[in-house]
Amino acid sequence: MAEHKQFCDLATQLVTESRRSTSSDTLFKYNDPLVRQIIREQRQLEAFIQSQVAGSPEFTGEAPALLIYQTAILRNKRCLLAYHNHRIERLKDMYWAVGGALPHLLSSPDIRSKLSPLEVDFLKTYNSEVMEFRSEFSDELDIMAGITEPPKDLNVLVKVIRDCGVIQTELGSIDFRKGQRFMVRRADIEHLIIQGYLEEVR
Amino acid sequence: MDTSSLNQIDFIAKARNASPSPPPRDGFLFTDLDDAQELPLQKLIRHWMNERHAPDILPIQAELLAGILDHIHKQSSTVSLLRTDPDASEDEHFRIMLAQTEIERVKFVVRSYVRTRLSKIEDYARWILADPLLQGRLSETELKHAKSYANLLATHFEESVLKALPGAQQSLDDPVPFMPPMITAPDKMRPVFVLARRDCPSVYLPDGTKMEMRKGQISLTQYRVIESLLFQDLVELV
Repeated sequence: MAEHKQFCDLATQLVTESRRSTSSDTLFKYNDPLVRQIIREQRQLEAFIQSQVAGSPEFTGEAPALLIYQTAILRNKRCLLAYHNHRIERLKDMYWAVGGALPHLLSSPDIRSKLSPLEVDFLKTYNSEVMEFRSEFSDELDIMAGITEPPKDLNVLVKVIRDCGVIQTELGSIDFRKGQRFMVRRADIEHLIIQGYLEEVR
Repeated sequence: MDTSSLNQIDFIAKARNASPSPPPRDGFLFTDLDDAQELPLQKLIRHWMNERHAPDILPIQAELLAGILDHIHKQSSTVSLLRTDPDASEDEHFRIMLAQTEIERVKFVVRSYVRTRLSKIEDYARWILADPLLQGRLSETELKHAKSYANLLATHFEESVLKALPGAQQSLDDPVPFMPPMITAPDKMRPVFVLARRDCPSVYLPDGTKMEMRKGQISLTQYRVIESLLFQDLVELV
């Protein structure tokens, strides 16, 4: 560990990354090397403590050193957990922003490359839990739909950005092809707007 | 202006004449402070706003919610029945459209209410699970979700961090003196705007002075000050 001078320097780097992620509103790639380095530091600190305790069973003059190690351990651990928690919150936000369309989220290679395998697992399990929660409500009320803007009109004029195949709507099934425009019931196609297939024409 | 929009204006006028609107109340923000006159939807909106503004999770309004969902269901089936009726007049079709729009708007409120609670439940899952009293505020479905979510998050921390640490450092909750606890709890010091729905018994402000709110009065204060009033439905958050 030559590149850092003080305990917890790496952990500070890690939480700074979380902070940057919030202020720039982007998801960074999971920083696996840094996390591993901090975990290595934790083991090292633990070894220091063990040797100190073994060296002086009565806790005489060595106690302050122990305190420093212990504080560093706790701080590192908090930073590690904070980093992971921050990422999870971010991923959850992204998940809800696309209306819970997990395959849509995971199929983007850009996003996929930034996730750790464990985070992918998390999202998958989370998705199935949310789906279970959703199934408790009747068919009429889809709790996954958007809650940012209250509905003003029943129908909406949309422009097709990407082909999205045949969709069942109130007016029957419509084959949405790129470039076409439709006047459709908002509730029927809202998820397609969120996922970027359709665009609202104002 | 084309004919269709002219027609529409005509319909709006007809609709207005057909049912003389009740004298305007103070709008939705200042709902009827009288419980007896409060419609289920107004009540839902009040609880929705409380839930949105309160830092803490509030008791679920299960009965109210069930009633509203039931009503949505009935309305939607009536609407779909009327829509297919060939004898429905233009006027009726316009009313159907109004009803449909209103259904969508009610659904929005319900959805937002449910989702607000869901996000709080996820944020405070471990904290809720540690206190049986709080669990009484959740519906069965919500409690189930709280349990599985707390479990899921703990597993994620376990797998990605804790498992790799030396044995003594693996717990998810270290009670360390002089450090904030690791379980996230709601911040009850957060300031909220409260509207007194009737004259309230006096409450103590953080500096020790007494505050007595009259009906209709609005104050800005810490959530914990008015928490008990909120639970008695004496105030609402705005």
